[in-house]
Amino acid sequence: MNSMLNWFKRRLKGEASYETNEEWIEALTEPVDERAVEQLRGKLIRGLKPALHKYVDRELEQFVEDVAQDALLKILDNIESFRGDSKLITWAMKIAVREGLTELRRKKYDDSSIEDFKYPDEEGRNELTSLTFATDLPDPGETAHEQMMLKRVLRIINNDLTDKQKKAIHALMIRGHSVTIVAEQMNTNRNALYKLVHDARMRIKNKLELEGIDPDELFNKM
Amino acid sequence: MKITRIFIKKLVTAATKTRPDEIGCDDCFEQLHEFAEMKLEGKSPEEAMPLVEDHLKRCGECREEYEALLEALKNTQAFSE
Repeated sequence: MNSMLNWFKRRLKGEASYETNEEWIEALTEPVDERAVEQLRGKLIRGLKPALHKYVDRELEQFVEDVAQDALLKILDNIESFRGDSKLITWAMKIAVREGLTELRRKKYDDSSIEDFKYPDEEGRNELTSLTFATDLPDPGETAHEQMMLKRVLRIINNDLTDKQKKAIHALMIRGHSVTIVAEQMNTNRNALYKLVHDARMRIKNKLELEGIDPDELFNKM
Repeated sequence: MKITRIFIKKLVTAATKTRPDEIGCDDCFEQLHEFAEMKLEGKSPEEAMPLVEDHLKRCGECREEYEALLEALKNTQAFSE
């Protein structure tokens, strides 16, 4: 009722202002009120600039406008899924921020021209790009005990993880690629990749316990 | 192989801290706006939503998005007063 009253007040004044979630949802649901879209665009741009400026070295203005535009399409497409459990701007900004950072991660990867990060099959360049993590390359500084411990852990990685898990861990933890990029390269998504690595971590944890390997002891020696 | 040692240390540390009930990036994203808003309102989302807090500690990209979201919201009228 209040929402309708506010709407009439605004209409009388000839201005568009959206305060409550109900007003925003109504205005952003078909038929969409273009004035609401423009107001939301302004808010997104105002928030995105300070949030992303440290990641963007040039043409920040154009970049955030493009991000806001892409985000607006997603927001309008998903407005029905907004449950009203925060201010609408908070929910909308979340979508815009992810849009912007995902784009920046892609750009960063494109610019880095990394040659040896191609899936599914490019392995064996050295022991670090292979699916098998080397277990027979001792460091002269390591004691026999350290070498034995390292080998035991490497054996767990090699024997108990799937090829997919090894590829993901290799790309994320050794090569340091972003989750977004690794997920795209492995034809999956961030969530599934997180779950894949989570399962791998669980397996390693359980196996370490089963084999009686104490991580503290392992690290004291390293 | 120094890199192997560093990598193993990193992986074993991550493995030993693994919890069976961790949430993924999707579940975190689903709740992130609520979490961020509580934070900006001076409440304790860490206590109310411990699994989101846990995920943000583990997942660099979700954490980066959360921090950027806070920064963005501080600059909108809704949270600037």
